[in-house]
Amino acid sequence: MRGITKIYRETGLHANEDVSLSVEEREIHAIIGENGAGKTTLMKVLYGLEPPDDGNIFLRGKEVIIPNPLAANKLGIGMVHQHFTLIPSFTVAENIVLGIEPRTKGVFFDRESAVKEVGRVIEEHNFHINPRTRVSSLTVGQMQQVEIIKMLYRDVDLLILDEPTSVLTEQEIVKLFENLQRLVKAGKTCVLITHKLDEVMQISHRVTVMRKGRVEAVRYTRDVDCRELSRLMVGKSVLFDFEKKEQDTGKTVVELRDVTLLKKGQERPLLDHLSLELHAGEIVGVAGVGGNGLGELEDVITGLRHIQSGAVYHDQKDITNIGPIAMRENGLAYVPADRLFRGSSVQSTIRENMIVTNPRRFLRAGVFDQKKIQVFAEDLAKQFSIDGNPDIPMGMLSGGNIQKVILARELANKTDFIVFSEPTWGLDVAGSEFIYKKILEIRDAGSAVMLISSNLDEILGLADRLVVLYRGKMVANLRNRGVSKETIGEYMLGLKDDFPKKKADAS
Amino acid sequence: MNSAQFAFPLLHNTIGIMTPFLLAALGGLFTELGGMLNIALEGLILIGAFFSVVFAAFTGSLFLGVLLGIAVTMIIAWIFGAISIYLKANVFISGLATNLLASGLTVVLAFQFFGNKGVILFQDLPKLPKFTIAALQRVPLLGDIFLGHSVFVYLSWVAVLLAYVVIYRTPFGYRLRGTGIDQKAIRALGLNPQRYQIAGILISGFTCGLAGALLTLQLGAFVPNISAGRGWIALVAIYLGNKKPLGILIASFVFGLAESVSNYAQGAINVPADFILAFPYLITVAAMILFSIWQHRKSVV
Amino acid sequence: MKHRRTEFFVNTLSLGITIGISFLIVILMILLMSETPLKTMYYFFLGPFTNKYYFGNMLNASIPLIFTGLGIALAFRSSMFNLGGEGQVYAGGLVATFFLLIINESGPAVLGILVALISSALLGALLAGMSGFFRMKWNTDELISSFLLSSAVVLIVNYFITGILNDPNTNLLTTPPVNERFWFLKIFLPSNLDISILFAVLTAVGVYFFLFYTKWGYEMRMCGLNREFSRYGGINVSRYMVMPMLLSGGLHGIAGSVAVMGTYHQCLKGFSGGIGWNGIAVALIAKNNPLAIIPAAVFFAYLDAGAKAAMLHSDVTFEIAAIVQSVIFFLVTARAIHDFIRFRKKEVQV
Repeated sequence: MRGITKIYRETGLHANEDVSLSVEEREIHAIIGENGAGKTTLMKVLYGLEPPDDGNIFLRGKEVIIPNPLAANKLGIGMVHQHFTLIPSFTVAENIVLGIEPRTKGVFFDRESAVKEVGRVIEEHNFHINPRTRVSSLTVGQMQQVEIIKMLYRDVDLLILDEPTSVLTEQEIVKLFENLQRLVKAGKTCVLITHKLDEVMQISHRVTVMRKGRVEAVRYTRDVDCRELSRLMVGKSVLFDFEKKEQDTGKTVVELRDVTLLKKGQERPLLDHLSLELHAGEIVGVAGVGGNGLGELEDVITGLRHIQSGAVYHDQKDITNIGPIAMRENGLAYVPADRLFRGSSVQSTIRENMIVTNPRRFLRAGVFDQKKIQVFAEDLAKQFSIDGNPDIPMGMLSGGNIQKVILARELANKTDFIVFSEPTWGLDVAGSEFIYKKILEIRDAGSAVMLISSNLDEILGLADRLVVLYRGKMVANLRNRGVSKETIGEYMLGLKDDFPKKKADAS
Repeated sequence: MNSAQFAFPLLHNTIGIMTPFLLAALGGLFTELGGMLNIALEGLILIGAFFSVVFAAFTGSLFLGVLLGIAVTMIIAWIFGAISIYLKANVFISGLATNLLASGLTVVLAFQFFGNKGVILFQDLPKLPKFTIAALQRVPLLGDIFLGHSVFVYLSWVAVLLAYVVIYRTPFGYRLRGTGIDQKAIRALGLNPQRYQIAGILISGFTCGLAGALLTLQLGAFVPNISAGRGWIALVAIYLGNKKPLGILIASFVFGLAESVSNYAQGAINVPADFILAFPYLITVAAMILFSIWQHRKSVV
Repeated sequence: MKHRRTEFFVNTLSLGITIGISFLIVILMILLMSETPLKTMYYFFLGPFTNKYYFGNMLNASIPLIFTGLGIALAFRSSMFNLGGEGQVYAGGLVATFFLLIINESGPAVLGILVALISSALLGALLAGMSGFFRMKWNTDELISSFLLSSAVVLIVNYFITGILNDPNTNLLTTPPVNERFWFLKIFLPSNLDISILFAVLTAVGVYFFLFYTKWGYEMRMCGLNREFSRYGGINVSRYMVMPMLLSGGLHGIAGSVAVMGTYHQCLKGFSGGIGWNGIAVALIAKNNPLAIIPAAVFFAYLDAGAKAAMLHSDVTFEIAAIVQSVIFFLVTARAIHDFIRFRKKEVQV
């Protein structure tokens, strides 16, 4: 690819500017960069999902034009998206052949030969998956394998994987890398988009670093180390170094006792007899791999989801299943992981977003006092250095500013416990640092803080206590002193468990 | 009067009454599976009803009339689909617009060509062929209930089978269902989901054209707003039939039976006609509520 | 501020394009169908302004549309669909007539009028509220349930008009006229325009105030834009599935009773036909802004009035109005028109 430029018309964003990339046959080529560096856009251009505004693509020396994914497949280019594009109610084989189905008599879908052909591809590349299984009953790792097989079925030589490890467990990642290495041995080429440095070091042959829509550097992996890549990626080295003052923890603010959350038609509970206390002036960091109960814990502790057994207490008072309104009345503040859909109403103005948790305080004789709202909004905007007039819709702000509006709103009311979920996901370094400073301030002011995050650096840097969930169960509850990332990792993968279930209890 | 004497004609009528529901719902199913709400069934039936009978009268051929009627219905369906999909209009609103267009257009054209905005009779129209097998006519039950209907009835049964095969046994069916479940997935495969949605709407135009043709051709006349809520009932039949061809057959039968029973009750018991006509709507609401209660229970642990 | 102006510009222009296309289609139709196309066009476009009678009647026809448009806008603002407008208007008209016939000579006229307005509002609210309640309780699609209920209600109201409450002194399918004391004052003779247009305008202002200056209105709008966000923010989301439907139904009911007391003075079979559906179009043209609903309703009444004038003075039928209205309906939510204007505007700026 030479001189690729892509400008998104709707936003005027220059996602790619004069980007050139060359990938050699039979290599694993990593593209790294922070969120928004333009990696995914570049690959979408290559896969025919987005037309480039400028630049050319050459395949084995010949210029090609790739108008759509089908054309990309024909040229031997395949892509596995970060979010899977599978139809859950179809079987593995049906998903894989969709679009180029084998037919009988030219009209009918030939299910038998679909299963047979897919089975052949699966065997040839040493995957272990039954083509007749429904996709909805597969694990995330298996779904990804289906996506890869889908591309192999289309006979591609170049496989693009967009953030393939972000949803996988540690073992699944190992498995994935084994698979990729085998594919390369068999003559395929892989492009791996990621922002995880250790993965780059582990598997790739070459690496292209992107930053702000441009190529920052291209290196052989054996010639670089993590630190240099990190420096190239962010421009300056990230060192999570917070000044955290020691502080004694206060009384118990919120307590979960034996909280269990079930899902219909699934035997394993989403949350399994979880007991946990949050103390005043303490940050409890909750870690875990996706799908192990983090999101569910977020929903339960904020009252959005009802539990089937167990209890929740606030200041000794039973608040089990009282719902989000009463939870807020009990002093909850909450910065959700889904900030665009749950945390804000993007079509409403910033001002309207700011008053949602307590509109009553702006009423005078039953009518909104617009002036008071205006003063309030401007005040928050100043305090949290939010760029943007309070009259514009929330959706016109950048991700970092949206998060600031949410944070400002949540802290505006009196609160004694606050839940953060993935507070810095997708934010740039400056934005993240701002959020971190605020979290520490809240803690120092004596609130109980729960920090749910998949970013281990964040958790290790901020938390006073570490909790790890594995399969909905708590497997660790430690003071954050001298705990290493590796240790947390072992807990997250279920290799270590401080609270093994006694068999007698279970039966 | 024994029960067979009462029940057989009742069921016989039911089969006649359910046919437009069934046809429209089967077509609407394709739209629904493609992930779009087809509010326009009502208007499409009306268009089909008007143009089939008019073309049949002009050409003197039932077959040509139905064919051209279906063609016009599909054109209107395409307009509905194109505005919803390509111009990105709200599919519910453009569905309502289609219904409004249908009731306006049919009356305007009726006035233009026949100078009449009321019932238009077509006296020279040939009768709809009825399907009977003399040998089987004597077989009890079969003869009394299932034979002696117009060809449309049997066409609608073939349509059920055809819908099943197309939806579950052809690449088109897979892609259409895939579109309804996850458009992005279909696009990522290099397929064009909009094409399948348009196809789903055109199919609904086809079957609604048939359903409308049945209404006017068996009457030999066009009556303003002859669709009379059948498209809406068909829409509900899709949901009640759990979006499956066989389920739709059963749901259509239930609605047909309700109307058939109310027709009988109208003559037999002294209940005002308006109440009885309101009955199917109320049954449908009740069925919808029960259905959603059941779904609700299922989703809550 | 700049953002708002752009938004306004885009909305106005896309509406202009929509109306322009619909007018082009009507001109085309008239050219094809009329023997005297110029005369027909004259009456279609300018007929409503040729004399006081037509003009006043056009304004009068907009009154119920303002109420139904407001009712639909309130529901839309909360992401609820009230498709049962037809039945709610009709039932409102019937119940108002019923009480006015009973009250007849007794008590002050104002009291009777109040009873009529309140009873029609309550019945309309009940009918629409049921669908809201089912939605809240069991997630029953309110769009279809409100439509089906309304279809049944129309038939049941027909039964009353042609049965128990039928006027024996006339061959018309109608109830007896209500006492003259309850007729609204005509303010623009010889036309039918009556004093209730002021009431309609005041209601629009009231709804605007409710939506943008009260807590309920605010919470309702938030629920309409994003229910997940509202639940998260501590808004009682279930309440705002029922309340907007109650208000919407209430406004539809009032549309019915106002039409009875202002225009018909009796409950005529089928008098409400189209008022409910057109309310939806009016709300959409007005982009659910209560104040914009007034001109939108007048515009819709203008199309009807034009078609009527064309029918009386020329050789086309009244239903061409339905075709124009359907074209507007088709295009009014078309996002592509919006995007196209935005895109062009950006290019010009660059």
